[in-house]
Amino acid sequence: MYQWLDERLDLSRLNTKFLRKAFPVHHSFFLGEITLFAFVVLVLTGIFLTLNYEPSTRPVKIEGYNDPVPAAYASILYIDSLPFGAVLRSLHHWSAHIMIAAAFLHMLRIHLTGAYKKPRELNWLIGIVLLVLAIVTAFTGYALPFDNYALTATGIGYHIGEAAPWLGKAMSAILFAGELEASNTKTIPRLFSIHVLWLPLLLLAMIGAHLLLMVKQKHTQPKYAEKVAPGRILGVPAMPQQAVMMGVLFLVYVAVTTFIAGAFLAHPVEAFGPPTPNTPSVKPDWYFMWIYGILQILPQWDLKILGANFGPQFVGGILVPTLIILGAMAIPFLEPQKEKQRYLELPSQHPRRTSFVLAMLMFYIMATLAGYKIDFLNANPNLSSGTLIAILWVLLIVAPILTYIISYILMKAAYRSREVEIEFTGRASAADD
Amino acid sequence: MYRNDTVVPAFAIIFAIALFYMAYLVTQRVAALSGHTPAELTVGQIGLMAFGAVLFMYGFIGLLSNWLEGAELRPGKHEPEASSVPVVAGVILSLALAAASGLFVRTLVLAANKEAEFPPPTWLQGGLFAAMMLIIALLIAIYKKFFMAEEVLAEDEKGEFPW
Ligand code: HEM
Repeated sequence: MYQWLDERLDLSRLNTKFLRKAFPVHHSFFLGEITLFAFVVLVLTGIFLTLNYEPSTRPVKIEGYNDPVPAAYASILYIDSLPFGAVLRSLHHWSAHIMIAAAFLHMLRIHLTGAYKKPRELNWLIGIVLLVLAIVTAFTGYALPFDNYALTATGIGYHIGEAAPWLGKAMSAILFAGELEASNTKTIPRLFSIHVLWLPLLLLAMIGAHLLLMVKQKHTQPKYAEKVAPGRILGVPAMPQQAVMMGVLFLVYVAVTTFIAGAFLAHPVEAFGPPTPNTPSVKPDWYFMWIYGILQILPQWDLKILGANFGPQFVGGILVPTLIILGAMAIPFLEPQKEKQRYLELPSQHPRRTSFVLAMLMFYIMATLAGYKIDFLNANPNLSSGTLIAILWVLLIVAPILTYIISYILMKAAYRSREVEIEFTGRASAADD
Repeated sequence: MYRNDTVVPAFAIIFAIALFYMAYLVTQRVAALSGHTPAELTVGQIGLMAFGAVLFMYGFIGLLSNWLEGAELRPGKHEPEASSVPVVAGVILSLALAAASGLFVRTLVLAANKEAEFPPPTWLQGGLFAAMMLIIALLIAIYKKFFMAEEVLAEDEKGEFPW
C-alpha cells in the first residue's frame, strides 16, 4: 500500500523534506500550540453545535414556558438536554475564553524573548491580527443563544462599535444586519453566518499562514543550542517525536477543559430567560473589561466634527484600543537589526523590555478594575463617585509606572550581581533559567 | 528560558492554583454581597479561570516535556532503557481507561433516558471524559519515555521546505 502510494506521490520525499524537520524543544513553545488546540476544539465542538442550533428568532412553543420563545433560545435548551450536550456547549464556550487567554500569553512570550525580531516581523503582525480576529469571533458568537443576558452583553460592544466615526453605522449593518434589537429578525442569521463561516475561515487561513511562515523561517531556539550545535537547528524530528508531544498536549488540553466545562457550565441560558424589555445588570466579557473600565472613568463630553461624534465612547472604546494595537504592531520595527534572530533572548538580560511588558500588564489589570466602578460604589455607600474615579485614574496611571520602575531596578540589581559573578567564574551559572 | 527548565512551568502551576483560588474568593465575595451563591460564574471568574487553565496546561506539559525530552538536547540516537515498572503502570492505566470508558458510556445512557431517577450530573460526565483523555495522554507519555528510540537532529539552517 505504502509502495503504491509512494510510486505515485513520492511520499519518501515528503518524509525527508518535511516529516524529518527538526523542531527545537522548549516549554514556552507550547503556548502557541495550546492556542492552536483551542481553535481545533472550537471547530469540532462548533460543528456539533451547528447541527442542533436554529439561527432564527421565530417564536416557538416549548414546555415550561407560557409564552412562545425565540427558536434560537429553544434550540440552546435542546442542546443542553442532549446527553453530553451541555458539556460540549460549555466546552465550546470555555475554549473561546481559553483561546484568547492562550494567544495573549503566547504573545507575551514572543515579546519577552525577542522572537518578534527579524526575520519574524511578519508573523508578529499576523499574530496580532489573529488575536483581534479571535476576540471578534468570540464576540459574534455571544448573542447566538439569544437569551436576555447575551443580548444585553452584546449590546455593550455594539454601542462601542457604533461610536466609530462615520464607520459605526456601516459596521453594525454588516455585523448585525441593522440595529441590535430583540425585534430585528435579521440579526441572528447574520451573526450566525459570520460566526460559523466567515470568521472561522479567515482564522483558518491566517493560522495556516502563521504556521507556514514559522516553518519557513525556522523556530527560535533556546540559547544553550548555540553552544551544542552552532549555526544549526537543534531539534527533534517532526515525526514521530514532535507529533507525539503534540498529541499528548492535545489530550491534556481536552482533559483539562472538559473537566472545567463539566464542573462549571458556562452561560446557563435558562437562568436569564429569553430577551425582555428590562435589561439585567451585565458586564462585558473579561477581554473587553479593560476597555469598559476606561469608559467608566472618562468624563462625559460632546464633540461633533463633520457630523461624527467624538465623545468618550470614541476615545475609550476605539481610540485607545486602536493606538495600543498600532503600538504593538510597531514593536518589531522599533528595533531593526541586521542579523537574523536565531535564539531566545533571556528576559533578565532585557530589563527595559521586560519591565515594559509588566507595566502594560499592570495597565490592563488596573483598567479592568475600573470596570468594577459601580460595584465598588454599591459596596461602599459612603464613597462619592468623584473620589472613586480620581482613585481609579491614579491607579491606572501610577501603578504601571511604579511597576516599570520597581521591576527595572530589581532586575538591574539582580543582573549586575550576576555579571560580576560571570566575570569572577568565567561562566554563567544555572540561574540562567 | 536558557534551557527547557522546570522552574517556569512549576511557577506556572503555582500561579494557576492561585488564580483558581482567586476565582473561588470572588464567589465568596459575590455571595457575601448578594446574600446567595450565584449559579452562574461572573465574567471576572471566567477570566481568572481561563488564564488559570492555560497556565496549568502550560506548566503540566512543560514539566512533562522536561521529563520526556530533557533540559538540553544532544544530537544523536538515544535508546530507551528497558524496565518492567512501566509495563505494570501501562497495564494498570489501561484497566483504568476501560473502567472510565465504561462509566462514561453508562452516564450517557442514563442522561439519554429522560425518565431516569438520577440524571448524571454534568461534572461527572465531563470528569469521566477528562479522565479518559488524561489516561491516554499518560499512556502515550510512558510509551515515549520507556519504549521509543529518541533521535536528536542538528539540521542545516537552510531548508528546502516549503520553498
Ligand atoms: C490566535 C492564534 C494564534 C495561534 C493559533 C498561534 C500559533 C502559533 C504556533 C503553534 C507557533 C509555534 C509554537 C510557538 O512558538 O509557540 C507560533 C509561533 C509564533 N507566533 Fe503565534 N499564534 C497565534 C497568535 C499569535 C500572536 C497574537 C502573536 C504575536 C503578536 C504571534 C506571534 C508568533 C511568532 C512571532 C511566532 C514565531 C516564534 C518563534 O519562532 O520563536 N502569534 N504561533
